[in-house]
Amino acid sequence: MAEIREGTERGGPSGTLRRFLARPEAPALVFLAALVAVFSLASGSFFQVGNLESIVSSVAVLGIIALAVNQVVLCGEIDISTGSMLGLCAVAAGAAATSFGGLFLPLLAGVAVGAVAGAINGLLVTLGRIPAIIVTLGMLYALRGVILLVTGGTWITGIPNETRVLGTGTVLGVGYPMILLVGLFLIMEVAGRHSTWGRNVFAVGGNRRAARFAGLPIDRVRFLAFVLVGVFVGIASVIYLGRTGSVQTNAGAGLELQVVAAVVIGGTSISGGRGSALAALTGAVLIGVILNGLILLGVPSIWQDAVLGSLILLAVTTDVVRRRLVGDRA
Amino acid sequence: MTRPDETRAEDTEGTATFIFRLEGVTKRFGGVVAVEGVDFELRPGEVHALVGENGAGKSTLMKVADGLYAPDEGMLEVGGETVSFSSPRDAEAAGIAMIPQELDLFPELSVAENLFVGRKRPRKSWGGLDWDAMQDEARKRLDSLGVSIDVTSTVKRLSAANQQVVAIARALVGEARAVIMDEPTSSLTGREVRQLFSIIEDLTAEGVGVVYISHRLEEVFEIADRVTVLRDGHHIKTAPAEDLDAGELVRLMVGRPLNELFTRSESSPGEVALEVRGLTRAGEFEDVDLTLRRGEILGLAGLVGAGRTELAQSIFGIRPAESGEVLVEGEEVRIRSPRAAMERGIFYVPEERRSQGLILPFSIKNNITLSILDRISRFGFVPRSERQTADRFAKELSIRGAKVSDPVGRLSGGNQQKVVVAKSLAREPGILLLDEPTRGVDVGAKSEIYRLMDSLAKEGKAVLLISSELEEVLSMADRVLVMREGRISGEFDREEATQENVMTAATGGRSRPEPEADDDPQEEVSENG
Repeated sequence: MAEIREGTERGGPSGTLRRFLARPEAPALVFLAALVAVFSLASGSFFQVGNLESIVSSVAVLGIIALAVNQVVLCGEIDISTGSMLGLCAVAAGAAATSFGGLFLPLLAGVAVGAVAGAINGLLVTLGRIPAIIVTLGMLYALRGVILLVTGGTWITGIPNETRVLGTGTVLGVGYPMILLVGLFLIMEVAGRHSTWGRNVFAVGGNRRAARFAGLPIDRVRFLAFVLVGVFVGIASVIYLGRTGSVQTNAGAGLELQVVAAVVIGGTSISGGRGSALAALTGAVLIGVILNGLILLGVPSIWQDAVLGSLILLAVTTDVVRRRLVGDRA
Repeated sequence: MTRPDETRAEDTEGTATFIFRLEGVTKRFGGVVAVEGVDFELRPGEVHALVGENGAGKSTLMKVADGLYAPDEGMLEVGGETVSFSSPRDAEAAGIAMIPQELDLFPELSVAENLFVGRKRPRKSWGGLDWDAMQDEARKRLDSLGVSIDVTSTVKRLSAANQQVVAIARALVGEARAVIMDEPTSSLTGREVRQLFSIIEDLTAEGVGVVYISHRLEEVFEIADRVTVLRDGHHIKTAPAEDLDAGELVRLMVGRPLNELFTRSESSPGEVALEVRGLTRAGEFEDVDLTLRRGEILGLAGLVGAGRTELAQSIFGIRPAESGEVLVEGEEVRIRSPRAAMERGIFYVPEERRSQGLILPFSIKNNITLSILDRISRFGFVPRSERQTADRFAKELSIRGAKVSDPVGRLSGGNQQKVVVAKSLAREPGILLLDEPTRGVDVGAKSEIYRLMDSLAKEGKAVLLISSELEEVLSMADRVLVMREGRISGEFDREEATQENVMTAATGGRSRPEPEADDDPQEEVSENG
């Protein structure tokens, strides 16, 4: 049997372009650039530093959670419990903030509650061998129930300013939400490419059986991914707390699907093994740009869901077309 | 070689009648040519054997006739008319049915339901399914094949042989004029093969043509009227079976004498590396004793489904044994995961390359270093020296066709297999369990893998070679163990290990040719394009 050789020579601008197009997040990035161009032409106030920063900050909660859920999806699993988890973490952080004030204890409370919730997800999926979609669907409801039980249905208000700083504060004019999002993105990008755990995540998602036969600790890899989601949700909950200044019992409702949408629109394969942290970030920013652009263009808000949904489908279709063009199968 | 000589001489004379005919068929998958310019025809009432090595293009060629693949060049004629099938359904309508090696039955459905899947089912006046009529019809079909099978039983509860019969009956429900059988005997016992042959004889007596794809030359000589040999996707020869003998056929298939393929030097086995005592896992293997020495290649022969893979996977910690002991270097160990096995110096190279051996989206490099990441990583990070490690093994195993940073899917089947082996060697195991290491691999890669096995044994590694290719076991192993229905049924040293002895132990009765699974390497590379 003949060996398969590359169809075209690499190198040169076409080689670079090909390599770029072969990356999982390429279609989303191209799409994002196109949208930014369209909105900039259509509305003078869109392409301004202030507006761009506010877009990124507005998707910080979504993006940070998407960065972690991205790892779960890369493992070939899914987590749809993050909406309620964010709510519960915000309740914990909010309670700590109103009781003790400061930033550290609320953050610790949010992260701890998130980590415990993530660990429960992880244990049920790995040791319990229950499909992740079922486990996290159950947790979505269970955690929302816990919120109602704990708060008795009342809002948490009066969050002190020193706690809210993660949502409202700036450093050199750049908001903390954006700094945290970019910082965590860089960490995940490096971890995904260069850490042993990051490599194992791709291996487990790419072929779980082969990963097991190669001696990889597949349960530990997946467990840690679920715990990571909890930790990132905990961090995001304090940003959320800062931005809203209060916690309602329905805080975070519906976020879980927006997170999955961001991951998939960004280009991470829903079946695992292919994707990147950049994909999750791109997906989240794309959603933010769409929502912001529509407002600036004066599109009535009743149109938002329809437009967002259509653009999700368009982005996914673009990816299918790209795969055919590049001849990539993933 | 006895074969019932009936009225076959006239069939093979130059009559122009044929059921279907392939002319100049070429089929490529990506850059790989699976078959090129091949002619093939099937006449009514004949058994036409199609032989060749793994990857010679047998299955691919017949999948063209069955409408599964569209040929890139060439044409298909049925009953004198050029046709182009877009699916196996079209082929079935034209009277051509293929029984694939992996039977495409529905295990959870009943025999009767299986026969009517995708076909017009008998209905009652009010439109509901007429189960009685369906079962009667199914019973009639099976009776005509001379077997009695409970048509209400689910297919998964049938023996391999009876499943084969159901697949044949299903093909015939569509009034097939031509039946293509791909390795039909690969999981049958000797008696079951007789049953199949008598069915084939009945079919041909009624004028049905049968294409018989097989590696088993004895079977070919017994059942076939004509033989077509393929090699590396090319048509080599078509001739009446009586004009050929086994030696000639092997030469045509391989293109060179067999003994050049294997490398095995004198061996001097050292101390015991692995010992297994009374290992049992209900339904898979029972009371297995086994001793494997350093510097030794121990062959583990047997039919498909004899429990060899299950045994090896149990030693490797994938399927924990229920009772019995495993001793590594004389020390009793409890191995419950592949990781624990690797820490004891054991590595298992799985038979399913794509589903068990490789992470396909990964580069060659990442696949090779997969099992040693925990060893080479520093503070949880993968060091740059990974690249050199991968390069070293790629060179050592002469992995060719792509850079180590390219996706592993870009390699041919043989080179992919070398990557799987490289991954295991990177871990530097003392005990290697190789499960069908040359399956679906081209001849060149095969001989390289044999050379590698030989040098591993010379280095003092203990090698367990599970193989269904008898030739391979007999040529490479210092000692041969045979498994049958989950138990060790024979042990032979190099001199005693003859084809006859091993097959008798494997089948528990009369000797028969070697079982061998022909997967379809063309199909594998087809996705890589």
